Order: sequence, then structure tokens, then C-alpha cells
Amino acid sequence: MIIAERRPIPKVLKAIEPYERVLVLGCRGCVAVCSAGGDREVETMAAALRLARKLSGRPLKTGEATFIRQCDPEYLAPLKDMAREYEAVVSMACGVGVNLIADLFPEIRVYPGVDTTFYGANPALGEWQEKCRGCGDCILDVTGGLCPIARCAKNLLNGPCGGSQGGRCEIRPEVPCVWHQIYERLSARGELDRLMNFFPAKDWRPAGHGGPRERVREDLKMG
Amino acid sequence: MANITIGVLCCHYTNQAGEEDFRGIPGEVILKRYPCSGHIEVADILKTFEEGAEAVLVAGCEKDRCHNLSGSLRAEKKVLGARKILEEIGLEPERVRFAFLPRLDTGPFMEEVRRTFETALNMKSKS
Repeated sequence: MIIAERRPIPKVLKAIEPYERVLVLGCRGCVAVCSAGGDREVETMAAALRLARKLSGRPLKTGEATFIRQCDPEYLAPLKDMAREYEAVVSMACGVGVNLIADLFPEIRVYPGVDTTFYGANPALGEWQEKCRGCGDCILDVTGGLCPIARCAKNLLNGPCGGSQGGRCEIRPEVPCVWHQIYERLSARGELDRLMNFFPAKDWRPAGHGGPRERVREDLKMG
Repeated sequence: MANITIGVLCCHYTNQAGEEDFRGIPGEVILKRYPCSGHIEVADILKTFEEGAEAVLVAGCEKDRCHNLSGSLRAEKKVLGARKILEEIGLEPERVRFAFLPRLDTGPFMEEVRRTFETALNMKSKS
């Protein structure tokens, strides 16, 4: 899922500084699962903004709502009318939600309530770890299901680097060297031959370096 | 002396102190009781400040006495979350306190309420 974390309150306060009526809008998708932008976090953000503004002598009125998702136009549709009561919207969705609101409703001033950080897994309560970089050209079939693009600090395609020591990364020793893990995994399976071919220099265009990515499925489009 | 307001957020089972007990507190007490302290959210703490509290006490049962097992441990963490937000908006984080308390023992409970009132008094005198 997409991982996000609450944006520092002073940054949000600065963005909404001119306004007196603000809607804090949550999302029940990924950001709710990672406890950054669901119903509970909407309530917290709204209360924090009101309290801060009360202390500064410029009270703020807030509305609170949470949509099923903010990355699909059909779920965002009610916002058009809802937002009329407010001067701005603080979206607690990931950056996708903020962008889609900005695309669909140019008249709505929308500001982020979270910082969107990475695609990650939730291995334990309160812990999230990056597992995928969304690079658009998967090599997990060769690397035993472990991604060196997302999990190697140097994104090495032919690792490990010389700094890997005792199975740990030299950049952050608390992180296991993913290339060490890949070697161990494939070795245990008797599949080291998968690593006999060098990966050539990576084409980063599918990773977004050729501009914003788009996917079109004609078989799903209607009309 | 200016009127001082404090907030007390606690579990029904932690304490059932009543109006009589709070009479000794020379200020206003906003009392909110929950089915379990684990149900107290960061937003509840912030809203109590919005309602005018100068300091807030969150009280839960002793670590091994919560009948929902981890309710008071969760509440302690919510206090840490509230402290972080208070700091971000320019309020002293120590305005919100957490206490693990023996169940239904009004003495230690009121002692924490009094400490919270002292915190509020200190904060009010600084402002």
C-alpha cells in the first residue's frame, strides 16, 4: 500500500493561513490502513488546527469527512457540493488524492495533510517498510522475490557492493543487505545460476523518468 | 486568582470520583469518562484543550489490571501523540500527563488530579 505520515501541523497551518472555514478530508484507502489519513486522523488534524488557530486568536471552523477513496472520480464526486461551504480542503489522502481533487475541481483550493512516503508493507503493528519502488520493470523473478531497487540503498542491479559487511548495509547497518539476502535465498534453493547473467544498465523510463506514467486498458474503457 | 480549568480523561473502571472529591480543587474540572482508557484518542485530548483546559490528565488502570489487557498502555501512547502535537503548535507538552492508577482508589487518583492542577497553575502563571 501507499504509506504516508501526518504532515507537521505548522506546515498545514501555513497553507490554510488565509482561511476561516476548512474541510479536513480523509481517505479510507491506504492512508487509513497506515493510520495517517483515515477517520481518526481527520479528527486529530481538525482538532489540532482548531486549537492552534484558537490560540493565535483567529478561530478556525472545520468540517470533517472521509471518503472511501480519493483516487477515483466517482468517490470524489460529492466533494464538489460539499466544498462550497469551505474556503479550502486539507486532504489527508496520499498525493494521488490531492492531485485528483486539483485536476477535477480547479475551483477548490486543496492542500496536503500528509506527506506521502513510499510503497510499503506492514510487517508489525506500527511498522512500515519500503518493498517496491514502482519502477515499472520488475526483476523479482530473478532475485528470489526480493527487490534491490527498493531495498538496496544504491539501487544496485548487480550487488552486493563492497560496503556490504556481515550481511548488513553500509549505509544503515540496521538494515539487512538485500543482495546478501538474495544470494542466500537463491543459494539455499540451488538457483544461483539465476545470477550468472549481469543485469545491463537499467532503463529508467518505465520508472517515471520519461515523465508521468499512464496506463490505458482499451478493453475496460466504456464509451 | 484567575479561574483555572483542567481536564481529566479516564476509564470508568479506573476511578469513579464524584463532585464531592473534586470540591478540593480550586478550579473547574472537565471530566470525561470512557469505557476503557484505550478508547481515549489524541483528538479527545486536543478537544479538551479547545474547551479551555490549561492541563489534561489521562488516567488508566495499572499496567496489569486493564480488563481489556492493553487499554491503558494504548492511552499512554496517545498521550505521547498529543504531546507531540502540542509541541508543534507551541504549547508545552507537559500540559498533558498520563498516570497508571490502582482501580477505584480515589486517593492516588485525586493526587494526580491535584498535580495536574499545579501544572495548569504553573502554565497559567507563565502565560
